[in-house]
Amino acid sequence: MPVRPVIRSTIIAFATAGALALSLAACTPQSSTGAGSSDSPVRGGTLTYASGDAEPTCLDPHVGGNYPQALVATQYLEELVSKNTKGQIIPWLATKWTESKDGLSWDFTLRDGVKFTDGTPLDAAAVKANVAHIQDPATGSSTGYLALGKVASTEIVSPRVIRFTLSQPDSALLESLTQPWLAIESPAALKRSKDVNCAHPVGTGPFIVKQWKKQDSITLVRNAGYTSPPADAAHHGPAYLSKIVWRFIPDSATRYAALKAGEVDVIDNAQPDTIVAAHKTKSLTELNAPRPGASNRIELNSGKAPFNDEKVREAFIRAADVNDGIKTLFFGTAKRSYSALSSVEPLGYSEPGLFGYEPKKANELLDAAGYTTRDADGYRTKDGTRLTVVFPVSTNQSIPAEQSLFEQIQATTKKVGFDVKLEPMDLSSWYAALAKNDYDAVSAPYTKVGPDVLRILYDSASITPAPSGYFANLAQVDIPSLDATLEKAAQVSDVAERSALYETAQKTILEGYYILPLYDQQNHYLLRNDVVGLRALPSVSTPLFYDTWLDR
Amino acid sequence: MRRAASAGPRVALVVCALVVLWLLACAVAPGLVAPGDPLAIHPLQGFEPPSLAHWFGTDESGRDVFTRVVHGAGPSLLIGVAATAIGIVLGVALGTLAGLGPRWLDFGTSRLLEVLFAFPGLLLALLFIVIYGPGITTSTVAVGLATAPGYARIVRSQMLAVRGAPYIEAEVVLGRPPLWRFRRSILPNVAGTLFVLVTLGVGQSIVWASSLSYLGLGAKPPTAEWGAMLSAGRTYIDSAWWLTFFPGLVIVASAAAATVLGRTIQGRVRGS
Amino acid sequence: MTLGPGTEVEAALESAASTRRSGRGAVRWLSTRLAGLLFVLWAAATLTFFAIRLIPGDPAQAILGGPGSQASAAALAQARAEYGLDQPLILQYLGQLGRYVTGDFGTSYSLHESVVQAIGQQLGGTLVLAVASLAVAWVLALAVAVFSVRAGRAAWAVGNGLEIVSAAVPHFWLATVLILLFSSTLGWLPAINVPGPVGLVLPVVTLAVPLAGFLGQVMRESLLNALHSPFVLSARARGESEVGVLVRHALRHAALPAISLSGWAFGSLVSGAVVVETIFARPGIGRTLLRAVQERDVPLVSGIVLVVALAYCLVTVASEVLDRVADPRLAESPR
Repeated sequence: MPVRPVIRSTIIAFATAGALALSLAACTPQSSTGAGSSDSPVRGGTLTYASGDAEPTCLDPHVGGNYPQALVATQYLEELVSKNTKGQIIPWLATKWTESKDGLSWDFTLRDGVKFTDGTPLDAAAVKANVAHIQDPATGSSTGYLALGKVASTEIVSPRVIRFTLSQPDSALLESLTQPWLAIESPAALKRSKDVNCAHPVGTGPFIVKQWKKQDSITLVRNAGYTSPPADAAHHGPAYLSKIVWRFIPDSATRYAALKAGEVDVIDNAQPDTIVAAHKTKSLTELNAPRPGASNRIELNSGKAPFNDEKVREAFIRAADVNDGIKTLFFGTAKRSYSALSSVEPLGYSEPGLFGYEPKKANELLDAAGYTTRDADGYRTKDGTRLTVVFPVSTNQSIPAEQSLFEQIQATTKKVGFDVKLEPMDLSSWYAALAKNDYDAVSAPYTKVGPDVLRILYDSASITPAPSGYFANLAQVDIPSLDATLEKAAQVSDVAERSALYETAQKTILEGYYILPLYDQQNHYLLRNDVVGLRALPSVSTPLFYDTWLDR
Repeated sequence: MRRAASAGPRVALVVCALVVLWLLACAVAPGLVAPGDPLAIHPLQGFEPPSLAHWFGTDESGRDVFTRVVHGAGPSLLIGVAATAIGIVLGVALGTLAGLGPRWLDFGTSRLLEVLFAFPGLLLALLFIVIYGPGITTSTVAVGLATAPGYARIVRSQMLAVRGAPYIEAEVVLGRPPLWRFRRSILPNVAGTLFVLVTLGVGQSIVWASSLSYLGLGAKPPTAEWGAMLSAGRTYIDSAWWLTFFPGLVIVASAAAATVLGRTIQGRVRGS
Repeated sequence: MTLGPGTEVEAALESAASTRRSGRGAVRWLSTRLAGLLFVLWAAATLTFFAIRLIPGDPAQAILGGPGSQASAAALAQARAEYGLDQPLILQYLGQLGRYVTGDFGTSYSLHESVVQAIGQQLGGTLVLAVASLAVAWVLALAVAVFSVRAGRAAWAVGNGLEIVSAAVPHFWLATVLILLFSSTLGWLPAINVPGPVGLVLPVVTLAVPLAGFLGQVMRESLLNALHSPFVLSARARGESEVGVLVRHALRHAALPAISLSGWAFGSLVSGAVVVETIFARPGIGRTLLRAVQERDVPLVSGIVLVVALAYCLVTVASEVLDRVADPRLAESPR
């Protein structure tokens, strides 16, 4: 049951100037999947989607805010702005936006004539109600709440213009607003009870939530009155599909078998070996859409022994043989990363030289760090304490191939004397272990648009746990100069300056040996090849079925 | 069962005995049966099908599956035996209290057993593992706890039957103290049944522990344990059948062999 | 409990036999049973309540969108107050018992609906699965038993072998092999839950085969004993046909242990359903239970435990009643 992370925060950077985005706003079709793209699209038909992610507990992504919610909400909810493949912000429910000189006030002009599927018109009051809903503690929003952290108030300028007033300039605001966790819902629907809204959220999207059979499926039907596709969509008017059955199939082998047999049309969380098998199968194709934000990486807890010593951190990284494992375990579907950021982030900075497999150097470093003796089992010790690395592994978040990779890291680092203790556990226990600081190494994926994810993950303020015990800076990086660099980068809008600041920050993190990058957050979809026109939204790589049709 | 023993071909019994002997050899001296290191990885030689070099193929990390199966016999059988032992000890304790104690104690213990019976076994195991964290020890204890009520019921009824037997009543008349009666007369009578239960329980405990591994609650990696190997290999069922076939084969073979031996012994005990 | 044949099977047989032996009045028997049932429910609720609180993880966090939520202190406090989690444990416990008595089973943290509604939605799927599996297991076990006692030594060995191997197969492995064979390779049967009986085939076979192995071992034994018992000999002497003897006398006798075992089998099926429902992506209380434990959904776990315990008790009582009706010793030689 690979379940991708539950925390996804949102403050985004990489905000291109609104005017630039506007000029490019005319339809830029995405590269999409499918064979007969020259044929004219067929209307109608039912598509069955099988998700390996956990079934959401609430279909309103304002509540909580995790990836499974984003996946399905993309079909029935829409955001103020979106992002194209070039990384530019493009219009969606907002047609234009202007930032004040001091960066503390943003005016968004809303699209005309858009109605929620319950008949409520989309206007400034609706957006105001949504911001209020996300910021209301009773909603229990975490992702959306964090993303709007700098939004102090909203103001209705006119029925079609809403003003956001910020407490600090936020160069990440626009990218935040591209994410499904900040989707705009019907204000009338939000007034219903939380339980009702969780089961039947109402938006402006191309599909409508019709029925939710728990542990089985969500039925989505076409919104016949749909008028508001994002600027990069391939067509106008209602969606082609008349219905989507959104199923939950936690077992990866079953999911693939169902796809092969044609019982489902699209699956997510495809396992590496089935991706390779699918390439050899005529009836199947792949859509690869790595998630933005951080790369998948192992965080070394620098807040306590043994990894509070940089030499020991470097020794661990030098002793871990990662490349051969990735090659075999992922069958060539994943590329090794040497960066803290996803390869889809333009500002990602790589430094392969730091992560070579050099056991000899690792041994020298450990000698220098004082781990000079070895015990009966061959593990290094210092003052009678074994060189132990406690590594809690979330079986919900790490796919089997990744867990095997950890086993290989355990085996190769053992050669230089590390005793890596892999502790598989369910998500709740995993968070509890982190909250208790009961870990030395951990892999925690993190999805978020833009390099500002670095501020969430490596600012020293993120070491302080939230009341729930959660904290994002799992490497416990505590460097004042890094904090200052990241803080500044989040506020400047000059592209060159931001880029330089983020490079400095990433260098500090990589060269301090706080993390061992592995690969991008894998996000592979497999589909029957008669599914035409499926694309992943460039914001957080969720699939959008608006342009999709069935060639059968 | 008398009939079963005489009707069943001896060949099966011999095969089962050989399987058990081989398993015991693997458990006691795995290094002699398969000299390799079950944890040695060769990342670039992963997913190799069975060959002369690797009889059972290699797994996702290039480890030799045959070596892992052989070295896995120890921990896997230990889970089976230890879980059964925990179940039996608890079962005997509860069953004895109920079977030999005063009436109110019997009543209380019987109700307790009923409650445990009504509690889904897997849930008991699940809760226990979630509380104490996964691993061989916890899954062993969990399976043991889940089996205990079953044993307790049998022991209780055995105790009741033996207590009422004429020779025990004779001992009461002779003025033997209760503990003496328990140790010298009752326990030996119940022991035969218990021995049979052990052989039957071992196989089932292994199967149940493997199900816990499937749910991600079993042995910690990289321990070579059959259930964990089976559930890890399952992911690759489409491309590498040998990863599940061989661990599955030994689980079925060991559980089946233990059952056959248990049934045979049961037949002998009842027959005599 | 739900484990091996050597333990629970015999235990269940013992308990059924002791019920038969006791031969008390029906009213008294029923009232004792009812009291026992209430006790079992109370104890199951109590056990679950305290066991769940030993699990690491904060229920207030579970309420606010699950683990890792970045809920504010105010939100956590509000959730604690709303669900009474800030009260002393003993008060929480008494409060919960009180609500159970009035039929209020609370609201699931993770499903955002009442526990009664959540279980109501899921119970049907599991019941259909369990009943179908039990029926198929009975048929399989009977077929093998009849075949192996009627067709000579070799058949006996084959039957014995089949039963032992099928009883030793882990559910998740069998399910995987069935999916690989009948769904992936042959494409005959769906790997997932689809409307209609065809979607039930693979999950039912997965649950039924190991169960049939257990039942078969018991049935074959009693069938054999029955075929050599005096009343069968006398029936043969009266000139009844072999088939008639088998159907009218021997099978009835052989069905007895299977009936007695139904309570045990039901428990085993619920445990098996956790695995089978996950693999075949079927809605049901087994899968819900797993998820509820993982998400620390206290009200839902407690609710499911109560339902399963109640069902277990009812099945046991029903099987005892059936047992009293069907026992040929009672029918043929009235005491």
